[in-house]
Amino acid sequence: MAASGSGGSRADNGYGGQQQPRRRKGPGALATAYLVIYNVVMTAGWLVIAVGLVRAYLAKGSYHSLYYSIEKPLKFFQTGALLEILHCAFGIVPSSVVLTAFQVMSRVFLTWAVTHSVKEVQTEDSVLLFVVSWTITEIIRYSFYTFSLLNHLPYLIKWARYTLFIILYPMGVTGELLTIYAALPFVRQSGLYSISLPNKYNFSFDYYTFLILVMISYIPLFPQLYFHMLHQRRKVLSHPDEHKKSE
Amino acid sequence: MLRRKKSSSPEHKRDPAAHGGALSMSQNNTRSFFNFSQLVLSAGHLRSPPVLKHSKITYFEVEILDVQSKKQICIVDKVPPSSTLLDVKHKFHKACPQWYPSRVGLQLERNGPYLKDSVNIQSLAVSSIITLYFTDLGQQVGWTTFFLTEYTGPLLIYLLFYIRLSTIYDQVESTKNFRHPVVHLACFCHCLHYIRHLLETLFVHKFSGGHTPLKNMIKGCAFYWGFTSWIAYYINHPRYTPPSFGHRQVSLAALAFLMCEAGNHFINVALAHQNHSGSKACFPSPTYNPFTWLFLLVSCPNYTYEVGSWISFTVMTQTLPVGIFAFLMVIQMSLWAQKKHKLYLKKFYPEVRRKAAMIPIIF
Repeated sequence: MAASGSGGSRADNGYGGQQQPRRRKGPGALATAYLVIYNVVMTAGWLVIAVGLVRAYLAKGSYHSLYYSIEKPLKFFQTGALLEILHCAFGIVPSSVVLTAFQVMSRVFLTWAVTHSVKEVQTEDSVLLFVVSWTITEIIRYSFYTFSLLNHLPYLIKWARYTLFIILYPMGVTGELLTIYAALPFVRQSGLYSISLPNKYNFSFDYYTFLILVMISYIPLFPQLYFHMLHQRRKVLSHPDEHKKSE
Repeated sequence: MLRRKKSSSPEHKRDPAAHGGALSMSQNNTRSFFNFSQLVLSAGHLRSPPVLKHSKITYFEVEILDVQSKKQICIVDKVPPSSTLLDVKHKFHKACPQWYPSRVGLQLERNGPYLKDSVNIQSLAVSSIITLYFTDLGQQVGWTTFFLTEYTGPLLIYLLFYIRLSTIYDQVESTKNFRHPVVHLACFCHCLHYIRHLLETLFVHKFSGGHTPLKNMIKGCAFYWGFTSWIAYYINHPRYTPPSFGHRQVSLAALAFLMCEAGNHFINVALAHQNHSGSKACFPSPTYNPFTWLFLLVSCPNYTYEVGSWISFTVMTQTLPVGIFAFLMVIQMSLWAQKKHKLYLKKFYPEVRRKAAMIPIIF
């Protein structure tokens, strides 16, 4: 769901209108250096995944079951995005902790709790759909951050970040929803991550129902995020000077 | 300023009198009448008016602009310098009836803090026109309404689950299973807790700030009502498992719960009475009542007792959802206690210095 990864949506998207402006002290030199390294590493990682996908496709001749060739780097680098929550919490990145946490957790949830846990869906085509979407989005996003931090942002990258999401975001969401839907019967059958009454602590959890609720939650959330990105696009691409670091 | 015409008339009277004759007498009368009428007409201001030219009463004009569009909404004029922001808000409400005072947020600059109602107009003014930015704070709701709604919900919801509505639980199972006494006790304790809260809201608490946005009420109600449904579902479920350590666990936890409830009640009464007596300048002191002795150790004992109630309730029912709810309450109460503690440190420094915020010694 966080295909475009607008982890940099700031407080002025309607949430912070009633408070004093948060005085943005930019990250210090050390923090900037660390962030540059982080973003470069992440860009490289997702490039590895992209190259892996292309090579596997060329080797196999078909686009089915390409997940297995990039399984490890995907898990590693997607989980590495959890660090971004810490970046926001420590204030070296001017984003809302809650929003970033929400987006990263939804990605990590899909990677581990759905694709990794329910082995039968790994051969589905919908997995390829969201993996491709994530790969392209993340490469552009992390290179955007890298260049922004170094104050040399090529217009092409800015344009790409704020334009390609128009296709990639719905593509990613479709892939994710189809994958969760495909996982449902296997979860029901195996009782994965579910606990039922009676038990000592009087608690029950039905993972099947939980997944259905997650799918339903896309309905209100996806349009909000999508239109927010569209709005950001209009702001950023029409005022190239004012919004140099706007995310 | 009285124009002295009186002195002229005797002069005139004298001249015709000098000339003598009836004709001159009637002339004299007309003239004196004329003079008299002039006198009456000229005597407009019998008292000297207030000296306006050197007056210190300069009325202010408050210009109210919309914070986003910067367009002028209205100008409130003839504002006396001794008035407060609340008076301005009332006048604004008369001009624009849809913005009642508690809904109006006024700032001096576009990103500045909201000004308090008690602020004096004179302290804001740099000239005779003051510009303020207006934000609509949204639909407001009174604190009493807020708390009554928030606490009545859980009370009724829990009872709905307790009576085991057929739509929630399987009827066959419900009638078959024996209900452990702890389930009845839990219902009693839960209802006691919320009834106490309701009665305190109605009869004990005195609320300082008047209103809060409606959004807060909806959020609070969603939280309380949602969690109450969740915990009530498990405690009243036919497949409920009683606590592992049996009667001992239940009775000890129930005792702790009742003590925390009593303590919470006495603390709230003490806090309310302290404000009532007007002596805002002292930290509430412990009395002969042993429950208030927590004031010696902690600056917000009401939160301590509330947290204690919920933890006892968790132990009593041994239900994980209640534990999760208690955990969230601990976090919430800790944040509130910390804020209050900082406030107390500023106001009542020497007394509060060695106290903890919510949990004695630890925090």
